Amino acid sequence: MATTTATLTLSSADLTGDALALSTTATLTKAGGLTGLDQTTGVSRKFFASATTAHNLVAAADYTAPKAHKVYIRNTSTTAGEYISVEIGSSNVSLGRLYAGDWAFLPWQGDSDIDIDTSDVNMTVEFMVISEA
Amino acid sequence: MATVRASLSLNSADVLTSALALTTVANLTCDSGALIRAKVKATDHDTTALRIYAASQCNERAYLYVKNLDVELEQYVYVYNDTDSDGLVAKIGGGEFAFIPVAVDKAYVVYATKVDTMVEYGVFGNDNSTVPFTGVGAS
Repeated sequence: MATTTATLTLSSADLTGDALALSTTATLTKAGGLTGLDQTTGVSRKFFASATTAHNLVAAADYTAPKAHKVYIRNTSTTAGEYISVEIGSSNVSLGRLYAGDWAFLPWQGDSDIDIDTSDVNMTVEFMVISEA
Repeated sequence: MATVRASLSLNSADVLTSALALTTVANLTCDSGALIRAKVKATDHDTTALRIYAASQCNERAYLYVKNLDVELEQYVYVYNDTDSDGLVAKIGGGEFAFIPVAVDKAYVVYATKVDTMVEYGVFGNDNSTVPFTGVGAS
């Protein structure tokens, strides 16, 4: 059994009159239990030489479903206008855009593909799946 | 404009032979946002689902934080894109969270396995003055 933690920190001194200072940590466990997720892709990067549409970044066929997998995706670009669009499922439901440096972390059941579009040439996407059998 | 610093750290000494210690930070330029705690009445994506983001509430970009405050892992909260069909976005177990971008022109709601599940959520982005933030309310 492995133990993996995810800690999210949100802070802002100037969004409102009351400073935002949120920190929350979750231990990533298998569905329906307290056993830690024990499989992972590791931190991976994929380079896209050209703008891409509906590239299958995480394939549901590679995972058991429905489980409590976790997915991390980051746009490594440093050019403000470059974004990746994240889409879920066979009908490519849009999850939104990750602009330069932005990231997402979400639980994922493993029953629907995660696809991405890249807006420009020469973009790199970093991602990791932490999963269970 | 304000800046919201969003940081994620993923750590594990034993999920790989090489220790996992990933930290990433994004500085989000935003002009609006709030943290809200609310009870989720709905157990399906129906008219009683809790609206957490109204379609076009923000311009260009927005980010959504959702945490399931239930202490039982199997009491799930579902984040659902209420504009598109087949719109399940995330299934969040008790004590877990998600931080995701939102498609700014779509509406998002949450429902739960159990009536009155507590959630904490926040939307950070650039406000669209023609679609006022409505806070807690049914879809």
